[in-house]
Amino acid sequence: MHELSPLLAFVQDQLQIAALLFMAVVYALKIRWIFRFPAARDRQERTGDPATSARKGAAYSLVNVAMPWAMPSTRQHLLFYTQFVIFHLAVAASITMSFLIPYAPETIASSAAVRLLQALFAAAVLVGLWRLIRRVRDPYIRAISTPDDYFSLSLLIVWFGFSILAAPNQPQEGEWPLMVYFVLTAFFLVYVPFSKISHYLYYPFARWYLGKTLGYRGVYPVKRGGETPA
Amino acid sequence: MQATRCWKAERVIERLHEKVTRQMVLSLEACVHCGLCTDQCHYVLANPGDVTYAPAYKAGSIRKFFKAHIDWTGRLFPWWVGARGLYTDAELEDLKDTVFGKCTNCRRCALNCPMGVDQATFNRMARGLLTYVGVMPEGVAVAAKDQWEIGNQMGVLPEDYLETLQWMEEELQSEYGDPTISIPLDKPDCDVVYAINPREIKYDPRTVAEAAAIFHFAGENWTMTRVGWDMTNFGLFNGDDELGAAIAGRVYDEVERLGGKKLVLSECGHGYRSTRCEGPNWGRRTTPFPMESSVVTMLRYIKEGRIQVDKTKNTEPVTYHDSCNNARSCGFFEEPRELLSYVVTDFREMYPNRAENYCCTGGGGAMSMSEYSQRRLKSAKIKAEQLQATGAKIVVTSCHNCVDGLFDLIRHYKLGMEVRLLVNLVAKALVAPAGPLPAPPLA
Repeated sequence: MHELSPLLAFVQDQLQIAALLFMAVVYALKIRWIFRFPAARDRQERTGDPATSARKGAAYSLVNVAMPWAMPSTRQHLLFYTQFVIFHLAVAASITMSFLIPYAPETIASSAAVRLLQALFAAAVLVGLWRLIRRVRDPYIRAISTPDDYFSLSLLIVWFGFSILAAPNQPQEGEWPLMVYFVLTAFFLVYVPFSKISHYLYYPFARWYLGKTLGYRGVYPVKRGGETPA
Repeated sequence: MQATRCWKAERVIERLHEKVTRQMVLSLEACVHCGLCTDQCHYVLANPGDVTYAPAYKAGSIRKFFKAHIDWTGRLFPWWVGARGLYTDAELEDLKDTVFGKCTNCRRCALNCPMGVDQATFNRMARGLLTYVGVMPEGVAVAAKDQWEIGNQMGVLPEDYLETLQWMEEELQSEYGDPTISIPLDKPDCDVVYAINPREIKYDPRTVAEAAAIFHFAGENWTMTRVGWDMTNFGLFNGDDELGAAIAGRVYDEVERLGGKKLVLSECGHGYRSTRCEGPNWGRRTTPFPMESSVVTMLRYIKEGRIQVDKTKNTEPVTYHDSCNNARSCGFFEEPRELLSYVVTDFREMYPNRAENYCCTGGGGAMSMSEYSQRRLKSAKIKAEQLQATGAKIVVTSCHNCVDGLFDLIRHYKLGMEVRLLVNLVAKALVAPAGPLPAPPLA
């Protein structure tokens, strides 16, 4: 069995833990900051469909991401939604892989698991590249983009690329793919709280509050009347 | 060297710190610039290629100074996250053009955002910041001033208000040959206190008469009020919570003073939302009486048999426009449709509808902002296409602003349609009972 170099052992273990801790501390500070702002509340009596409620609205809102039929924007852009699913599944898979490789490598040792992961990461690279092209070429998207948008997307594309190389977890064939992968992961974890990638931290809160008020007002869950005549 | 900030911009930044809520912070932070909101906005669809109409772009004009002054990533690395402070009067004017002139706060983008960014709430907040320093369209300033000083947004003087009600009362008595039909004023201890849109007094008093006839034939114990009768609220449009609280409060105070058991609101989208939903929040008060739309009242009268209607009196094909404030902000979708099923024979749904409907373009105070009329009418193209596709001759709505907005776009796009409120159709379908009704309880 190949003995890891001290540097690789460090980057896939202590460095990841340090980066995660840093991210967690910054996230905790962000959440504390958000909760310093007063929350608007609904003092009025409920409106709309009596079968709805603030709780039902909040629940509907939270799972909205998993219901592409729920909004015209996702219904009308199913390819875009599919890309979103691939991209975010790949993020989850790669984050999980960064834990499994150092602590439970046997769980993703089979060739089937490796191929599946590599296929997912490859698809995510393609999605990322397409999204980068879109961000540059589409005037609407270009107009709302910041340097952070471009950098975050580029970082993730490169990270997914190295995820492909890291998935087989074969340090004996050369440690550099794993080394770069874990250094990128650590950088990603440190950078995320300062970038738009931290949107996943805001997602549950933003959707909770929107869903709570719209559920209370009988707007959520949305009852559709169709987009075209039957 | 840091740029010098003008006096108004300083006040706007100060006020920003006071006005931003947790929900607004989340909305301002959560945008991932995915652009999914872009083609859900009627302004974008009607102005292809102009990126300044995209919801995320419009939001960005607010987000950039929020990030510069409140978000700590924006304060540390402004260039990296697109943060930029507000400095000049010209920038405030640009912001005014965006938040007043390019957004009706219809909330369609919010319901299409995967992150739940509620743009309308912080767009309204931005309007309020500008209003605070006197930067707003003139029409908005005039209407707000009239509401503060005269008590209604159209500057209807008390004597004109009373004369109009008296005139409508006389018309009703003559029309129905019934001297007991009245429009009561300040009657105490009524079951219903009815508040209206001043547009009804100024431009369309017939709607007051129609409501009065319906109340009369339903045997309702009702009244209107001499003061505090304006249920509309420019505080919703200009972002001024203090104005919003004051105007809604005047209506609530009158109901409480008279001992009214329920406040019924005539058909006005933003008025319904402001009085029914937002007023208690702006004024941080609860009301001891329930509030409902007159649509719900009329529907109940029909279902309880208190009024009789004959739908064969309304045979022209009719479609229904869901007003943004009623629908997307108050969940008011099915009651108007149910009411229509009783009073028209040929109802045709428009698509999309309900929460996914497109704005009439007259909302958010747009009808008072004449400087943006051409922009408004151009953005109404989407609505015009929706209307045309129904094949209906009449578009019904439950909002006076929508009536004006729809009327304008119908004329502009030569659609040859008429616009009606639900009360118009109910009154037309009304079957007056034979013989006099028992008089309602006296004061």
